[in-house]
Parts: sequence; structure tokens; C-alpha cells
Amino acid sequence: MLAEADLVEELKDAKTQSRAFELLVNTYKQRLYWHIRSIVLNHDDADDVLQNTFVKVFRNINGFKGDSKLYSWMYRIATNEALSFLKQKSRKQGISNEELQNRTLENLEADVYFEGDEIQLQLQKAIATLPEKQKLVFNMKYFQELKYEEISEILETSVGGLKASYHLATKKIEAYLTND
Amino acid sequence: METFNKNNPFKTPEDYFEGFNEKLQSKLSEESISLPKQEGFTIPHGYFDSLNGKILNKIERTETKVVQLNPFKKYYYVAASIAAMVLLIFGLNWNTTEELSFETLAEADIESYFENNTFDLSAYEIAEVIPLDELEINDMLTNRLEDENIVDYLDENTDDFEELNLEDYE
Repeated sequence: MLAEADLVEELKDAKTQSRAFELLVNTYKQRLYWHIRSIVLNHDDADDVLQNTFVKVFRNINGFKGDSKLYSWMYRIATNEALSFLKQKSRKQGISNEELQNRTLENLEADVYFEGDEIQLQLQKAIATLPEKQKLVFNMKYFQELKYEEISEILETSVGGLKASYHLATKKIEAYLTND
Repeated sequence: METFNKNNPFKTPEDYFEGFNEKLQSKLSEESISLPKQEGFTIPHGYFDSLNGKILNKIERTETKVVQLNPFKKYYYVAASIAAMVLLIFGLNWNTTEELSFETLAEADIESYFENNTFDLSAYEIAEVIPLDELEINDMLTNRLEDENIVDYLDENTDDFEELNLEDYE
């Protein structure tokens, strides 16, 4: 496997670009997919956003300065893409972000690509009640098992702040699940 | 072992202590929620195998799209600047009427253009064309933040004040 700096160099060089890009896609497609899926919930939307994310990465790689790690830069693009996708979708349907989320959750039960049991569905509903930031932190820490340091670089938030968000998120989820 | 000592008048049901551990375990598991570690999402068979091709197609498609969009963008800027000039020069002198004027048409067109077209612009791309040094924070807020809003926000997002000091929590 290429070192990250070499991979970035190859991505910027027209001669090696396509091979390097394929390597990049192969390395990150699954991780980024599951990250996006946890935000948009449905497979078709996640597929759209994932493709857009890689297109953006490809187009903007020349502007990548290497101030952060490549993977956290890509995660950041994926997060922004997923969130703006949801905003655009709710605007097109003329409904609020919350309403869109409720509809997506209702459809989840009938989704062929959701095989969760009752408790997994309840957990998704509980996560949906969290503010955006806590939702992201919870998904990244709990399901994707990223380290606080990694999340901190992706979301550009202090580790302390992230711990607070995660703590609040788990408390709210627990309260939701015990009251429900 | 039904009584603790001979002075104790109380008794327990037979085999009470033998079954206690099990009962306690089941009680504990009822109370603590065991959260699933999986989200339950699945993907179509072979999805990741076909993904690379789809991304490359999309890159080719969007590159052609950019070329087509460019001349149109120029007209849009010209139209917007003319509309802005008209607004500046005549705006104060014109009586507002219900009739359609060039002014209202241009504004409505611009608004509906933004509403109905998917620009596919990310925050990064928008940031590239907006001169940040000319922006005031209030330009980005549709409503100015009142104290009441801030208190509401804190109320909603923090459970109690101690939780704000979590730097050393873990």
C-alpha cells in the first residue's frame, strides 16, 4: 500500500492519476459508504452521495494541501455532501429536514436493504431525535468505531467537546429507549 | 438454610438463595439496555464491485456538463448586474404597482431559477466565488440571534450545566 503522501502526489499527476484514483476508491469506498449511509439511511441516496463524494475528491485533489490527513479530508467532504443532500432533498419536497427524516424512518421498515430487528429500528428512531452534531458523533463513535482523535480531525471539534456530545447522545438515546 | 440464626423469626421460601443470582441477572439485563452494535443496513449484492465504473462515468459526465454550463453562467451574471443597476437607479423613484415590471420579473426569475435548479454546488464551491472579506456575519443569518434564541438553544442542547465541563470527564 502506498504511503498517503505518495498517493496524493500520484493523484495530482495526470500520468498516474487514474491508477491512483482507483486505489483510492478501493481503499475508502466501504468506509465512506457506511458513514454516508448512517446519515442518509437509504441505500440509493447513500449511493448517490458516495459517487458525488468521489467526484468532488477527484476534482479537488489539486487543492488538497495536506494540512489534514487525506482520509479525514474525504470524510469531511462525505459528511458535507450527505448533509447538503438531505437539505436539498427536503427543499425539493417542500418539507422540513425533520419531516424528511421521519418519512425516511417510516420507509425503513419496508426497505429491502434494512434487515434490522425491532430494537435496531428503535435505535435509529432514537438517533433521529438527536441534534445533527450529536447524531454524527454517535454514529462515528458507536457504529464506525472511530477514535475521538479521528473524529476530532474530521469534524474539526475538540476531543473534549466530542466526549461531551457523545455522552449527551448516549444519555438521550437511553432515555428514549427506556421511555418508549 | 432457611433461617439465618435461631433467633431470627423470619424465613425464606425454599431454595430462595440458590435461584437468587439468576433472578438478579435477568433483572439487570431488563434494566440495562443492550444496544445492538449493527445498524441493520444492507446493500445490494455486488454493489461495491460495480461502484468504480459508476464513479468514473459520473466524472466524465460532469466534466462535459461544466463546459455546457459556462456560457450560460455569464448571461446569468450579466442579467443579475443589469437587474441590480436598474434597482439602484430607478428603485427609489418607481411607484410599486401590482403590474409586472422588469424589476419584479428579473427578481422572480432569479429566485425561481435558484429554487428549481439543482446547482450541485458544495459549500466549498460557493465559498470560492463569494468574497468572504465583504461579508458580515448578519448576512448569513436570516434572523438575528436574540438572547431568547440562544437560551432556547442551550436549553435544548445541554441537559444540565455540569455537563458543559466535560473536558476531564473521561
